[in-house]
Amino acid sequence: MNQNVTRRAWLRSLAVAAAVAAIGTAGSAAAQQTLKFGLAMPLTGSQSSYGKDQIKATEWAVADINAKGGVNGKKLEVIVLDTQADPTVGINAVNRLVNVDKVPVFVTAWSAVVKAVAPIANREKVLELSIGANSPDIAKLGDYVYTAFPLADVDVAALANYTFSTLKHKRVAVVYINNDTGIEAAKVYKSVFEKAGGQVVAYETYDPKATDFTGMLLKVRTANPEFIHLHGLVSDMPIVISQMRQLGMQQRVSTYSGGLNQQMIEKAGKGAEGLIVTSLAPNAQQNKNVGPYIERWKKAENRIPNGLPYTQYLYDAAYLVAALYEYVENNKLPATGENMRKALLAVKTFELPMTGRLVMNDDHTVRKPVNLVTVKNAEFVPLATVE
Amino acid sequence: MFDLPVLLQILWTSVATSTCYVLFAVAFALTLKVAQVWNFVQAGTMGLAFYAMFAAMLGWGWPHPAGFAFGLGIAVAVSMAVEVWGYRVLRRRRSSALLLFIFAIVVAEFIAYLLSLVFGTEPQSLTKSLTSEVYLVGGVAISSWDLNALAVTAAACAALFAFLRFTRQGQFLYAVADNGDLAELYGISANRAYLIAMVIAAALVSVGVYLYGTRASMIPNAPLELMLLAVIATILGGIGSLVGAGVAAVFLSVLQSASILVIPSQWQSSLTYFVLFAVILFFPTGFRVPAWLRRR
Repeated sequence: MNQNVTRRAWLRSLAVAAAVAAIGTAGSAAAQQTLKFGLAMPLTGSQSSYGKDQIKATEWAVADINAKGGVNGKKLEVIVLDTQADPTVGINAVNRLVNVDKVPVFVTAWSAVVKAVAPIANREKVLELSIGANSPDIAKLGDYVYTAFPLADVDVAALANYTFSTLKHKRVAVVYINNDTGIEAAKVYKSVFEKAGGQVVAYETYDPKATDFTGMLLKVRTANPEFIHLHGLVSDMPIVISQMRQLGMQQRVSTYSGGLNQQMIEKAGKGAEGLIVTSLAPNAQQNKNVGPYIERWKKAENRIPNGLPYTQYLYDAAYLVAALYEYVENNKLPATGENMRKALLAVKTFELPMTGRLVMNDDHTVRKPVNLVTVKNAEFVPLATVE
Repeated sequence: MFDLPVLLQILWTSVATSTCYVLFAVAFALTLKVAQVWNFVQAGTMGLAFYAMFAAMLGWGWPHPAGFAFGLGIAVAVSMAVEVWGYRVLRRRRSSALLLFIFAIVVAEFIAYLLSLVFGTEPQSLTKSLTSEVYLVGGVAISSWDLNALAVTAAACAALFAFLRFTRQGQFLYAVADNGDLAELYGISANRAYLIAMVIAAALVSVGVYLYGTRASMIPNAPLELMLLAVIATILGGIGSLVGAGVAAVFLSVLQSASILVIPSQWQSSLTYFVLFAVILFFPTGFRVPAWLRRR
């Protein structure tokens, strides 16, 4: 009997010790808990060279935030999944972020993907931050979809007005890619240009999978425009411009910020001279953080990032999410999509390192000054700023 | 909109850009004529040739002639392998035409898949810059690419014609195309003829993808779509007619470019499919001048 008592006591002590250890582990895990957010971007596919640079920018920002102590002592963690800039793949990626990784907020880009995953965000009440996509109807995708990047009705409208008012061109052609990136933005340009008093003499589109644009360009050429606005993806625009020049079309061309990358100049060569591109992010002269950021890229990757302005916004995306988490943590709210959205609307104004002040409007959009740059002697140089 | 310089520009540019399609169509028609096989593996060969050139020229910095030779070598090697270890085996087993067709499609798709895994799906060209010198002649823009492409295609077709017409092997190819069994009885190796046809086709498509890659950009799935025009041209030009396939390729290219005068540009790529249906329904044996017109 004494042996039984001893054994029982021993087992009881073991159980207590195990319970204490379990509580201790749980407590330690809670202390190490990371603040997660999702990043659904093209890691593969035709847009991957831009997607990868944007992902890298966000990852650098997360590392920088964590190096400074994270958010209230907790580490920020980004979960990256591939969308290939394709709506179907994007849906799978976001479903996983929401249902498996249980993120309360995710960042994504490319208009077709932003639109395709919006129903998931609204249904599951997870905050979707669109950063980089510019289709104007992103503003109307639902309660849980917000853009932290100015939409086409900001920069494209500025471009249209500049072309008419400053460059004094009255007859333009609009050439756009036949998908979510191009369709709505082209409508914005056409509408603004015609409202200003100009005439859109050709309004032509091309298939996203096309690599030969001769036929479409011949049709534009027959309309004899003074100026051409092009709205495509970063991978096809240099080829469109090259083939334009091959057909003897020497008109000046404008495009949105997707054209602000070195590949445009490399592939289009002399054909890119005079190209006007918008930039929605401040340059090194306008923001003191941008210069060291560019130097960081040159040191790490031996080049400037593809789509520099976009990477600036994606760098700031981590700071934006960190600010939302800070609000939620400070107000002792659970980190749900609902509360992240509440935080976004409560904080409203964010001071971000690479892009400056960001004010989230009630209509789910943001406004920024539009910098216009042009290609001169194979380099992008400032042209004008439109507030 | 229909002024003369515009029409001439459309005609000129469409003829110039048809050069690649002529080479693809003639290559496809040759293997169909000689080996009696719908060689859709050609799409895979095109992809391999392009990406081999891309790796050599832009990856390893080789000069263009060396890069082209590398791509050509890869294309020829793969075509020979497909013939020896693919088609020949299936022929020996007396496999049906359908099985040969399925084999060809599967190999082409598999190659496209492998290429996308290795090289990704970002559009790639064979030159960093896609612009070339442009000359304005009577309001028509003529680029140096146009002139080079026409010259190279003409030379390639002339070389093929000379080979088929004036060499012994060329005569053997005609003999096997007419009747392979009878040719064997006369001591002509049908297998050798099939192999030569595949090698020549590989050479033609290598030239074609080089021209294409110096003007537009390629993704791994693009050759399968480029093949569509080659197939239509082969049928429209009359199965068995290399000249017909070439002429049909030019016609289809002109038709596609000229169509923008009457249809929206986003419908242009669909036009190829309409033409394919029309060709299959109304010209299954190729376009022939009606008998009453021929008699005149």
